[in-house]
Amino acid sequence: MNALAIAQQVRAGTMTAAAAVEQSLARITTTEPKVNAFTAVLAERALKRAGQIDKHTRRAELSLAGVPFAVKNLFDIAGLPTLAGSKIERDAAPASRDALLVRRMEAAGAILVGALNMDEYAYGFTTENTHYGPTRNPHDPARISGGSSGGSAAAVAAGQVPLTLGSDTNGSIRVPSSLCGVFGLKPTYGRLPRLGSYPFVASLDHLGPFARSVADLAFAYDAMQGPAPDDPACAQRPPEPTRDLLERRADGLRIAVLGGWFREMAMPEALAAVDAVAQALGTTRLVELHDVDRARAAAFLITNAESSTLHLADLKQRAQDFEPLSRDRFLAGALLPAAWVVQAQRVRHAFARQLARAFETVDVLLAPATPCVAPVIGTEWLEINGQRLPSRPSMGLLTQPISCIGLPVVTVPLWGCNPAAPHLPIGVQVIAAPWREDLALRVAAELEAQGLATAPVAALN
Amino acid sequence: MAALTPAQIEALVQANAAALGLRIAAEHKPGVIAFVTLAAGMAERVMGQELGIEDESGAVFVPVSPRGTAP
Repeated sequence: MNALAIAQQVRAGTMTAAAAVEQSLARITTTEPKVNAFTAVLAERALKRAGQIDKHTRRAELSLAGVPFAVKNLFDIAGLPTLAGSKIERDAAPASRDALLVRRMEAAGAILVGALNMDEYAYGFTTENTHYGPTRNPHDPARISGGSSGGSAAAVAAGQVPLTLGSDTNGSIRVPSSLCGVFGLKPTYGRLPRLGSYPFVASLDHLGPFARSVADLAFAYDAMQGPAPDDPACAQRPPEPTRDLLERRADGLRIAVLGGWFREMAMPEALAAVDAVAQALGTTRLVELHDVDRARAAAFLITNAESSTLHLADLKQRAQDFEPLSRDRFLAGALLPAAWVVQAQRVRHAFARQLARAFETVDVLLAPATPCVAPVIGTEWLEINGQRLPSRPSMGLLTQPISCIGLPVVTVPLWGCNPAAPHLPIGVQVIAAPWREDLALRVAAELEAQGLATAPVAALN
Repeated sequence: MAALTPAQIEALVQANAAALGLRIAAEHKPGVIAFVTLAAGMAERVMGQELGIEDESGAVFVPVSPRGTAP
């Protein structure tokens, strides 16, 4: 059941929040051995909170009344150490309170049921976590879920919870959304506060929701909006609700497909997905950007240097405890000349101004979210655009240039685009100008209403 | 920026690791060199972009006001 259906029934009193939580916990129990999305299940806490919702005097006003949700384990959860996918943080003190976005979700009536697996310290696109095991793709457990918010996408795709939260620095909401076949929203950089979340790259970190419907996504996003004066990266903007705007669909919007890099670095299934979306929206317009590879390179360098500096003390003292798949990359990032990183920050700003000019004549841009459908777990190399490229970092080739400049993106899932693997989804990025999440959500709602973008629960037989 | 040679990459790794007091274990050195080489390729693209004085840093500092005062 989707989030809004649960909330509607709980508000009406035709279903209890306790029953919604029990159904979620039961689904987690039966599917978790095949998926491995959760690193902690909070049954006692969730059932206690459900009891409070069922007795809540203003239950009828709660937009997410009784909706079970879960969060990537880089969000603080009171009483648990914030793992951020690592072995090292097991030694950290338990969080004293929940992350701000968890508190905002619960204030809207949602109920936290657990913490979700991820790539260590969010440095990865596959959730092949050596410490906690890989999170498997619910639509084909031999394949990756994507990452770094792999648990967040897989839990929604598996029907374990209707809503999850994750983070996106270079594609970590959009990549797993694409590979697991769910809707994901990476809001504008600075839109949602990050208080109480473990940072990866402060210059680039975003938080956002995953869901199986666009309306669920919008309701969760709306519940989390609002300024947070203690978060220097959070724009002090009042909430700009989107849920009542979805019915406007794509009417009157100027939509174009991104060309160049965004088509060259995409495999046939990714191009087929974008072309299907463009056709459904009635656009043949192409926008060509220059220096996209430089923007991607800038994101790479900023990410590498900032994240390594954050972990420098542990890299010096206990490098052996890091994830083997990312340890050498972290060590390398500490050694980069400062001029490379400072220049990367300036390139980022120049690219942002180029996109701002593009958005003077277009409202929404389309691009693939990943170069291909989910690879098999352990895949080392991919052939893209005639080049043999390392598989893991290449999953972010098409997302990094966009998050590098903080644009809001809704990822919409399509199916059957790869004839050799018709059971696998692939996502399309619906990209808007800064602070126009509403436009990306409206286009996603249009595609969902046409039946082109869907997020079915995986059978997991 | 010209492409760095393997010898230059190795020298950069040794010098910067020493400056930071970061010990690179022998088993990690090939991987570290490979990733610094990858980063150097990215840096070539970034350093090759012509920028003007209007191209400010994307990392803009936000002043922090005392609690209870107007922003």
